[in-house]
Amino acid sequence: MKIITLIRGTIRELAAKATLYVLAGISTLMLLAAALAVGADSTPDGKTITFFGKQASPPVTNEMLADLAGKLEAGFAGGLFLGIVVFGVFGTAGVIPDALEKGTVDLYLSKPIARWQLLLGKYFGSVAVIFLNIIYFIGGLWLIVGLKVGVWNGRFLLSALLLTYVFASLYSVVTFFGVLSRNMAIAIIAGILYLLLVAGPLDSRQAGLYLISENGIYRGILDGLFYIFPQIPAMESGAMHIIAGEHAEAAPYAQSFLSSGGILALSAWILHKKDF
Amino acid sequence: MFAIESEELSKVYRNGIFRRQEVAALTGFSIQVAPGQIFSLLGPNGAGKTTFIKMLLSLASPTSGSASILGQKLPDVRVREKVGYLPENHRYPGYLTGDQVLRYFGELGGAPPGAMRGRIDSLLGLVGLTQWRTMKVKKYSKGMLQRLGLAQALMNEPEILFLDEPTDGVDPVGRKEIREILKDLRQKGKTIFLNSHLLSEVELISDRVAVLDRGRLLKVGTVDEMTAAGQAYVIGIGGTLPESVALAARAFVMGLTQQGENITAECRTTAELNRVIDLLRANNVEITSVIRQRNTLEESFISLIAKEARK
Ligand SMILES: Nc1ncnc2c1ncn2[C@@H]1O[C@H](COP(=O)(O)OP(=O)(O)OP(=O)(O)O)[C@@H](O)[C@H]1O
Ligand SMILES: [Mg+2]
Repeated sequence: MKIITLIRGTIRELAAKATLYVLAGISTLMLLAAALAVGADSTPDGKTITFFGKQASPPVTNEMLADLAGKLEAGFAGGLFLGIVVFGVFGTAGVIPDALEKGTVDLYLSKPIARWQLLLGKYFGSVAVIFLNIIYFIGGLWLIVGLKVGVWNGRFLLSALLLTYVFASLYSVVTFFGVLSRNMAIAIIAGILYLLLVAGPLDSRQAGLYLISENGIYRGILDGLFYIFPQIPAMESGAMHIIAGEHAEAAPYAQSFLSSGGILALSAWILHKKDF
Repeated sequence: MFAIESEELSKVYRNGIFRRQEVAALTGFSIQVAPGQIFSLLGPNGAGKTTFIKMLLSLASPTSGSASILGQKLPDVRVREKVGYLPENHRYPGYLTGDQVLRYFGELGGAPPGAMRGRIDSLLGLVGLTQWRTMKVKKYSKGMLQRLGLAQALMNEPEILFLDEPTDGVDPVGRKEIREILKDLRQKGKTIFLNSHLLSEVELISDRVAVLDRGRLLKVGTVDEMTAAGQAYVIGIGGTLPESVALAARAFVMGLTQQGENITAECRTTAELNRVIDLLRANNVEITSVIRQRNTLEESFISLIAKEARK
């Protein structure tokens, strides 16, 4: 299928770029540090996780050790998420503007490929590369915690999929601005600004934007916007809860699926209307 | 059925922040290209040549009018399976080798996986890139990229080939090779649509030529038809031509100029030429030679554009 060819081509394109090697390199360093730092200790009072040989908590029972490991993993995953946002968006934001550049887009579109196929091929190619990075890091950390602490947390491994999903959702916004502006810098800035100025404040509106006015319509609009746009922070904290073995809502994931799908459809429509 | 047909095709690009600035890139353009021909679209920079191809390939949508390829009304995604395109200023992913570029775009173009290896080998041989096939494309020279572009356009064995300035950046030997390849493709029944402002190139291989200027079709015909109008003759004379005789001749010929002992007379017919000679002889001008000058497409092209500009 043409989309598969496009996805493979995009993976190869990103593999030729330095940004993602930087990301993989940072992951490797963090994994090495974790491998050195994390350990477990048995004391007469129970087990405990150690950090550079020092006990990170009072000794606990085996059951509570699993909880502790989960919290540790959630902490790492939170750090990883930040890494993805910064490096992942930087590393992949150029994919769509590059494909739409004069001389390149002519080649693609002269083939029997619909424009939405080109868009989705590029989109999923970028997401696939980020998934590989995430699975490398999470998988590595999962192994380290399993081998050294003896806790094999399946939920942590699964969170690789969730975090990829969160990235994919954010990347739909980056894609939209990439199509609109055909400019990598604008796509990056728009993606980061979306996170900082739209998704973040809407997510914590009860503690922030709500306080500006008690007007019901104003608050209703804020709620409406919250449900229209991809809920990146809610999905991210949901993933942390799941890793730590706690309950998480499914609603943000389902709703962001619709939002991001809508944003991609809108991007495809804008692309469809463009003259090259 | 025509290979390519367009009817009153027009394109107005809108630029600027509020899309207020309009550029009429193509205006009421109608042509028909029969299958198996080499058809050239000729025109100065900005004439609208690339715009026409882009509309045929649905890279840009027409403002008005319609077009079809192989009888299929456009826009149509599937018809592009039968089309090969060498864009101007094409850019291939620099991190791929020549081999990989052909495979990637071949797959996207719908070349069957089983035939891929064989096609890549034979096309690389055809364009003379076999020894560079494993080199990264970013290290290719301009002419090598152009050759690769031609091979790429042929990967899905297209019935129609669109080539936008195919010999741009290619050395003279390479140009001749490309001409031979195109003639060979015509032999196999392919239709070739060429964009060029290198008239001397087009003249050697085209069956038909259309001249475009500022979005308007000025003329379409065979190379012979294009060059026939206004045959120039160089008449050698002994001494100088009296001004009165020159004036008398200019009254009926298309043009008459004198450089030293040579007169260049532009005549519509040989009768006109004979009238000039009679006039010269009647005025005791000695004729030493008469040479028929073959009008190149270049000259008729320039005079057409110049006439249009005067309007
Ligand atoms: N994407 C575009 N947006 C706006 N204007 C455009 C666009 N593409 C072409 N034009 C304008 O349309 C006109 C025709 O351009 P076109 O590229 O078709 O010319 P051309 O005959 O191919 O010229 P050249 O020989 O230089 O390649 C030019 O005035 C150009 O500025
Ligand atoms: Mg052009």
